Order: sequence, then C-alpha cells, then structure tokens
Amino acid sequence: MRLPLLVRQAAAESAKAATLQEEILGLFEQSRAGLLRYLNSMGVRDHDAEEVVQEVFLALFRHLRLGRDRHNLRGWVFRVAHNLGLKHRNLTRRIAYPADDSIFHRQIDPSPNPEQQVNARQRQGKLLAVFHALPEHDRCCLHLRAEGLRYREIAKALGISLGAVAQSLARSLEKLHQADGRL
Amino acid sequence: MRADLHPSDQELLLAADGELSRREAGRVQAHLSSCWHCRTRMHEIETAIAEFTHAYETADEPVPPIDGPRALLKAHLEEASNTSRDWSWLGFRSAIGALAILLIAFGVLIGLQLRARQRAHANYVALATPRISLTPGAIRIVTRDEVCSADGAESARVVPANLRQKVLEEYGMPQAKADLFEIDFLITPELGGSEDIRNLWPQPYEATLWNAHVKDALEDRLHEMVCSGEIDLATAQHDISTDWISAYKKYFHTDRPF
Repeated sequence: MRLPLLVRQAAAESAKAATLQEEILGLFEQSRAGLLRYLNSMGVRDHDAEEVVQEVFLALFRHLRLGRDRHNLRGWVFRVAHNLGLKHRNLTRRIAYPADDSIFHRQIDPSPNPEQQVNARQRQGKLLAVFHALPEHDRCCLHLRAEGLRYREIAKALGISLGAVAQSLARSLEKLHQADGRL
Repeated sequence: MRADLHPSDQELLLAADGELSRREAGRVQAHLSSCWHCRTRMHEIETAIAEFTHAYETADEPVPPIDGPRALLKAHLEEASNTSRDWSWLGFRSAIGALAILLIAFGVLIGLQLRARQRAHANYVALATPRISLTPGAIRIVTRDEVCSADGAESARVVPANLRQKVLEEYGMPQAKADLFEIDFLITPELGGSEDIRNLWPQPYEATLWNAHVKDALEDRLHEMVCSGEIDLATAQHDISTDWISAYKKYFHTDRPF
C-alpha cells in the first residue's frame, strides 16, 4: 500500500515541478531583457549579469516551491536582482558605470537624414549621460520605473519609502528636463 | 493640496503615474484644467519621461539571444527539481527513521521512569522499617545509669550532613528531600544506639502510618521503662532493633499508633 502511495506522490510532485518550471521560464522570457539592462546599469555586465539573472530565477523557483507569496512576481524578481546585483558588485568590486559610450550610437532610426541622425544621437547621448551621472539611488529608481514597476514595487525592491521614490523620480526627471532644454 | 495652490512637480509626477488617491488625483486634474502654467509643467514632465524612455529603450546594447540562457535555466531548474525531490524522499525516510528513534527513546524513557517509580515505591514501603542488611543496629558500650543521664543522650542526636548523605545514597535516594525524611537511629542514642551508618536509616515523617513520630514515642516509652527499671537496657535495644513496630504494639498494647 505504501509504495504505490509514494509513487503517486512522486508523480504529483513531478507534475507540479514541471508546471512551475514552465511558469518560471515564461517569466524569464518576459523579464530577462529588463533585468539585464538593470544589472548593466548597476555595473554588472555581460556574463556576470546573465549569471545573476539565472540566480534570480532559481531563487524564484525555490521561493514558489516553498509555497511562498506569488503576488507581484515581477517586482519580486527585480528586488532579488537588485540585491544579488549589489552582492555581486561588492564581490567583484566593479564600478557601476557604462564601460564606453558606444551604446549611444546604436539603433538610431535610419530613416532621417544624416543631420537629423546626428542631432538625435547627440540628444540621446546627452540624456543618457545625465542618466548615468545620477546618484545610484536615483538611477535605480528611474530604471525600475522605466521597466514598468509601480512606486510601491520600487520602494520594496530598493528598501525605501514611497515618498523617497516619488522624490527621487521627480528630481531625476527635472535633471533630464534641464539637460534636454540645453540641447 | 489646496485647489488654489499649484501642485508640486512631485505631485504632478504622481498624478501622471497614477499614484495619487482618487481624491487627490481629482484635485490635481481640476487644477490642471484651469491652470496653463501647471499644464505646461505637466507637459514638460511627460516630455522628459518620453525622451528618457526613448533614449533608454534604444540606447542599450542589444540583448544577447535568449535561447542559450533559457536552456541553461531549464537545466538548472531540472537539477533543482531533482535535488529537492531526492531531498524530499530522503527527508521522508529520515523523518520515519527519526520518528522510530524518538518512539524507542520515548519508550525507554517511560520504562526507566516506571522502574524508578517502582524502586522509589519499594523504598517508600520499606522505609517504615529499615533494611536489616543495611541497618542491623549498632550500640555503644554504655550502662543503664549513663543512658538515663539526659546529657549524653541529647548530644548524640544530630547526624552530620555527610553521614546523612551516605545513608540516603545507601538507600538509593540521594536526592531525597530533607523535610520528608528523618535520618533516624534504629536504636536511639537514649537507649545506647551509636552514631554509625549501620544504625541509621531514612524514615519518613508523615508518609506512612508507622512513621518517625510514632517511633519517637516508642523511644521515649522504652527510655522511661529502662530508667524506671521495668525492662533492662539490652531488652529495649533488642526489641527496638529487631522490629520496632512490633515493639510499639507490645509496649503500648495497641495494634495502631496513637
């Protein structure tokens, strides 16, 4: 009697794990690009960022496997990525700043004429320079907001208050606006 | 925010992001509809957001293809599933094993406790009279006159703490409470008994019918009888050391203690 019961339990466990894996892979597909961008902005780049993302989703697997809170998994994923990114950066002692400005010259709309392209490139480069010059705290807030996280989710991810998120975003946008006005 | 005051940039941003309460959002909206200045400011904020979003989305390095990382994650998840399954099976077996060990340990503990209780009960029953093998009785060489002088008898009544403890250990009750037992002389010093471990045993004060108080009465009675010449000292010593309960019944002419 006991063996069939154990076999049935094992089969149920396997089916549950397979469903969970599919769910996690789906969320991975949705969030990976945003997480990589966010980690890059923290100074965790390339292969390291990919590793951190893998770690995040394995942590999510364990989190869900233990039947813990499923509410707002996207916010959870960014929060864990933030923490793991900080940990990784502390370990590798890398500086959180883009390695070069080559990223400013990519994916510009090819349709405008050369002069417009140059202007657009300059404008984009300026805005991104301001963005990267923001204090890390402000940069993280703006980045997470750009990834679609709500204020409450950002606050939870960064461990700050809702008011601090609003202040940070307003401050950053003001700087971006000023930079845009000087172009 | 009062309706006639301009909202701050922060409030405008919160309104743009839908983070204000419905009431606050209504007030900001009402203000914006009547204030060109704030509407312009709101437009600037929205423009800054749009410019940044455009720059942000187009400027980042192209994300590497997802196929490889996805396959890697899938493999990691498979591994994690198998590991946790193994652990859960191991955990199940361990739990059964631990439960069995606990049950056995519990059984042993209960057994030991029962045995200890039985032993304690045996001690308790036996303590109304001493064990003859441990406490046969021991006397000093004294005369009747010496026994009947009050000084010598009283000085010998206090049992030293170390001797008291030895007696308790001998009877298998080293933790016995002092207020429950008297380390009593089988042959009382008033009748020539000596301060010897062979003449001492732990006698309950209250727990039995034939307790220390009853024996004290017998000791007094025998002392009186020896000193009054009704019985000789040797007889008194013999009777109390052989079976003090029978001696009580004999000298008080009763089957039950008074």
